[in-house]
Amino acid sequence: MTIASNSYLYFFGCVIPNRYPGIEYAVRWVTGKDGFDLDVKDHREFSCCPVPGIFYSTDKDTWLLLASRNLVLAQDERRQIMTVCNGCLASLSKATEYLQDPKMMGKVNRTLAQIGKKYTGIPVRTEGKRRVVEPVKVRHYVDVMTRDVGLDAIKEKTKHPLKNIRVAVHYGCHYLRPTEHAAFDDPNDPVMIDKIVEACGATSVDYDDRLDCCGAGGGVRSHVVDLANALTQDKCIKISAAGADCIVTGCPFCLLQFDNAQMSFMKEGIPVMHVSQLQALAMGIDPISLGFDTHHVSAHSFLRKLRGH
Amino acid sequence: MKEAEKVFIGGLKEELIEDKVIDESQLEPGLAEEIIKFGGKDVMTCLQCGNCTGVCPISLKIDYKTRNIIKCCQFGLKKYIFGTRWVCATCYRCYEHCPADLNPAEVMIALRHIAVREGIIPPFVKTAATNLVRYGQSVRPDEEIDKIRKELGLAVVHTHDEGFKSVIREIQVLVHASKYDKLIGIQEEIKV
Repeated sequence: MTIASNSYLYFFGCVIPNRYPGIEYAVRWVTGKDGFDLDVKDHREFSCCPVPGIFYSTDKDTWLLLASRNLVLAQDERRQIMTVCNGCLASLSKATEYLQDPKMMGKVNRTLAQIGKKYTGIPVRTEGKRRVVEPVKVRHYVDVMTRDVGLDAIKEKTKHPLKNIRVAVHYGCHYLRPTEHAAFDDPNDPVMIDKIVEACGATSVDYDDRLDCCGAGGGVRSHVVDLANALTQDKCIKISAAGADCIVTGCPFCLLQFDNAQMSFMKEGIPVMHVSQLQALAMGIDPISLGFDTHHVSAHSFLRKLRGH
Repeated sequence: MKEAEKVFIGGLKEELIEDKVIDESQLEPGLAEEIIKFGGKDVMTCLQCGNCTGVCPISLKIDYKTRNIIKCCQFGLKKYIFGTRWVCATCYRCYEHCPADLNPAEVMIALRHIAVREGIIPPFVKTAATNLVRYGQSVRPDEEIDKIRKELGLAVVHTHDEGFKSVIREIQVLVHASKYDKLIGIQEEIKV
């Protein structure tokens, strides 16, 4: 059996389903029948990736076991994992790299045997008697959109170009760094989200220090929230100076940080959304389905501008 | 002329490591090896160039200088390092800019491993670990969000599936097998 080249499994992680269901709706809609009709399905047994800021930071063995468990599920389905979150991307893709080491894989498999699972990688072909296996592929939603779906297709599906909308794109650290993991985009000058934004008819504005951290990662938000918010404030000042109508990111944890932090230092914040939500708007979804009521910063001003008022 | 004092978030003042009196009794020379054991690279290769501090977003805001921490690792000055709060955002900028190819972010992660093993466990780690073994997710499900999911026509989150109980069991088996439950102090949550 070979892997179907472009079949995916949704990996929504923890933040999206439990805090921003609108993103989940948008992703399903964009990738589903109303959108690009990708070969993608759910796996009801996926757990937390697990979060790099907690588990990778405190016990790498546990982190690798839990991540491998998720990878085994995708391996058995012979599908790629499509994450919608930078944290899940970092955690799972790093785990596939750890598992390239046969010693490490053996150690993990000895414990995974307790739950009847085994990581082998996905066999792609046989050379003589030897089976050639590839690690489970972990892809970011943005990566799938730009490289598999293609910008032309995104442009084609854009029914309502988001004219006059100025977007500040925030990539997030684990999309870009460490550079060897995030090889699908240029880590020093990433373009993929900007290109999606432009394909939706909006303008992506440049602002100072756009590759800076939102402040939330690595447990900083959980540990010293003031510090995380101070970093976000710096970014927001630069973003408002560029005259952006909204912030678009590919990471729900950055989104959560922007969304919550802005309430601590601004009366009316800049609306924040996931790139899939922006795409869905351009493709003509009813904004009511995007769950903006679960966001702390009201999207009201943005939606008014979108309607041309 | 007296220099202006820099005060950071939370009332922290900038303290220069050079001003501290360090005697040999405070030093633990094995720390560098311990860091390697937990996946960090050799801190002894650090040139003390300071690039890591220069690009660190956190060091702008609080008394947290990556270079100082690496220096303390070389000496084995645990007391100072563990006094610093757990504030690395793991943005990996330091790694990209390090001429010695040391990965300061991974050193911080190794330090967290060591700290946890010495019983310094931030409460949010315990919360997230508890959520994981209870719900299979690090984020606790929220009733209000569940209602909104229903309105949007989305399926219930995996945690609420009857079939997910076996997944939670699997997670508990793995967490128990790696002795993480004991390490973090969540043994009572595990029913294996």
